[in-house]
Amino acid sequence: MAANDISDAILVIIQRVASGASNDDLVKGLPEVTAQARMESLNKLLQQGTIELLKKGDKLIYRAKDPKKSALPKDADNEERIIYGIIEEGGNKGIWIRDIRMQSNLNMTHLNKILKNLETKKLIKAVKSVNASKKKVYMLYNLEPDRSVTGGAWYQDQDFEAEFVDVLNQQCLRFLQMTRENAEKKREGPLALKRLSCCSVKEVHKFISDLGISKVHLDEDDLETILKTVVYDGNAERIMMPDGSFVYRAINSPLFAPGLVQIPCGICPVIRNCSKCGDVTPNKCIYMTDWLD
Amino acid sequence: MSIEYANLCSVVVKQVFGETVQIVADCLFCAVSRTLPAILKTTKLSRKEVSLALAVLIKYQLVVFIPCESNPFLAEYSLKREEIFNILRYPGYVQLIHTKYGAVGAAIAEELLHGGPQTATNVLLKCIASSEVKEKVDTYRDNFLTMVSDNYLIRLPQLITGEEETIPKFQIDAYQYFVPPDINLHFIAQVQAGKENVEKAADAGIFWQLNFSRFHQDFRDAVMIGAIEKKLGASTGECFKYILKQMYERTDPWQKECSNPFTLAEIKQLIEKKSNNLDLIKHLDQYVTLIADDPLCFIRKVGDMGGGQYVVDLNRAFEELTLAWFGHVITERYGSKASRIFRIIYMKKFIEQEELQKEAMIPAREAKLLSYYLFQDQFIQIKTIRKAGGGGTGPAKAFFLFHFKPRQSVRMVLNVCYKALYNTIERSNFEKSEHKRLIEKSQKLDSIVATMKERGESAEYIDEILETLTPPEREILEKVKSRLKTLSKAEITLDSSIFLLQMYLFHTKVPTTLSNKDKKLM
Repeated sequence: MAANDISDAILVIIQRVASGASNDDLVKGLPEVTAQARMESLNKLLQQGTIELLKKGDKLIYRAKDPKKSALPKDADNEERIIYGIIEEGGNKGIWIRDIRMQSNLNMTHLNKILKNLETKKLIKAVKSVNASKKKVYMLYNLEPDRSVTGGAWYQDQDFEAEFVDVLNQQCLRFLQMTRENAEKKREGPLALKRLSCCSVKEVHKFISDLGISKVHLDEDDLETILKTVVYDGNAERIMMPDGSFVYRAINSPLFAPGLVQIPCGICPVIRNCSKCGDVTPNKCIYMTDWLD
Repeated sequence: MSIEYANLCSVVVKQVFGETVQIVADCLFCAVSRTLPAILKTTKLSRKEVSLALAVLIKYQLVVFIPCESNPFLAEYSLKREEIFNILRYPGYVQLIHTKYGAVGAAIAEELLHGGPQTATNVLLKCIASSEVKEKVDTYRDNFLTMVSDNYLIRLPQLITGEEETIPKFQIDAYQYFVPPDINLHFIAQVQAGKENVEKAADAGIFWQLNFSRFHQDFRDAVMIGAIEKKLGASTGECFKYILKQMYERTDPWQKECSNPFTLAEIKQLIEKKSNNLDLIKHLDQYVTLIADDPLCFIRKVGDMGGGQYVVDLNRAFEELTLAWFGHVITERYGSKASRIFRIIYMKKFIEQEELQKEAMIPAREAKLLSYYLFQDQFIQIKTIRKAGGGGTGPAKAFFLFHFKPRQSVRMVLNVCYKALYNTIERSNFEKSEHKRLIEKSQKLDSIVATMKERGESAEYIDEILETLTPPEREILEKVKSRLKTLSKAEITLDSSIFLLQMYLFHTKVPTTLSNKDKKLM
């Protein structure tokens, strides 16, 4: 039996026992393998990091490691190991350097050194959080950062992409308006018009995907947030369907531009200082002069 | 009542009645009521001047008087502050009457507005004598009577005769408001011929005035119908017009929150009789459902009687309209992003800054800036919730939640409107006084030219006279004229905003709060 086969067989046995297999288990499981060969295979597995060695009472126990958890290289020292463990626990949400220091009880300079070391080895990475631009969080190198850290589709390197959102907002509105116009052409009575001018998120999603304006992948939840902004702009309304989902439709504002904002006083930044005397008076007002000429 | 409103009233009174009346009105404005000696003391005018000013104000129904509590021989005068604003709406009233009753009705309305309340005979006599509209006296009379029966004109309280009191008293019962006057055409003809005196007319002592609340009711209907029409289309607007008509059958027009219920069947009957919009008749129930389902909430279903029982919810209607109005104003002032923020705050009731920017999809810095602008100008308010404890270590943790207090913001913005209106009037007065010489000159020239034309002078001569106004002067005059025109147009558009906000304040519920006494009981 080749060495590789032996180690594979050993691994299978160890994996079968969740709490870890003792040496006796291995002997029972593979009676034909010599102690010498077993030793070599176990050493090899330990080296690979696929199993770990634990002590229970005065017995040694072998336990399989979670294959997802990538292993530290052999040359890592104890401190690195601990730090790595802490970061590993942080998952894809990341962990703040302060928290690492608290948990590890290491001093700052030393910790920084270790972190830098791990970073150069491409075992961990630092990710800037969108919530606080100065706050860096650490996570394992191969993990995809969580949405709460990156901000989802709307963030590019911690910057909120306002333009992208605006374009999507306009396109969504355009789609809703198009649907409404089409519905108006059909002339099937007022309620039918209302029903036909409603769009589900799915329809909008299809339209936006077909347009191909987005390089990043947008899911329906993303589009729902965009559609909500259209509603908040007062250009659409959100209607709840009997099954609990929401549909959207473009609407017209019930009012024309109010009289107040058609004259300079309505948009005047210093209206509060305006009075009969002083520097801001209706007679001296430059906004009014501009408007009247 | 705010200082802005006081300024506005003051300038309006000055424009219409002159400076002395303005001083007296200002004096009355800042008090609940004042006696004549008190007015004399504060205004430092002569007794005669003040009496005259009061007489003018009383004549135009802007001041009322009652006997003083401590001294029944002394009258106490008080100003009807809200009524002064109606002066600015005079053109609007005349316009409305003109569309309903034509030039004849407009002439009657104008006479009543500008000449003050008077007897029906008197109005007719004056109209026939002065008006450019040459119509027979019976047309005028018929018009007057229809205006009374349509409630556009209202009877004023009559003097109680017989009792010997120093201060006259007036009285009217509600059923008498719209009782038609006795107009004797034969008598009018005799007065015209100079054979009779007006004072002996059968309806002497019965004074008529424009019924402003009836006009406001029409304005209010127009606002609501216009809103429905713009949002849901013309047929829906027409449908709503009939709904309002049906509503007035059983509801006091100024009932505050909701109307009394009416049924779909009634609306159907009304529309089938009156309308010739086939689409509307065919899909009537759909149109009504459409209005009821719309988030504007103008009507609300309350039962199933008669194919569906509905009420008109004026409270919600004006709330929604005011919100849309705010949205527009904020868009114009701070941009569309700010109105997005405003709507989020309104829809979410209470919201934190961070949550707000996430919901609005606006970069943090911009969202902060805009929401602080809105807060600074009192469009939105902040509610602070402090967390108990914290002790001495560091600042106590607190949550700052944005929210929208409609009544407060409406009052604030209404004052801005008053100020803006004051500014436009003040500015147009200023423009007029700046170019007084020029305006007067051109007026004089115009009258000269007119008389010359009447005399049939040669065109060359007239041109020569016209040339005394030099081209640069002419240019300035044109400019001033266009400025005044813009300003007066602004006055009218401003009033539409003010009207909406006033309706809002009238119709919405005042939030009930527990008084301290009640809180202790709980």
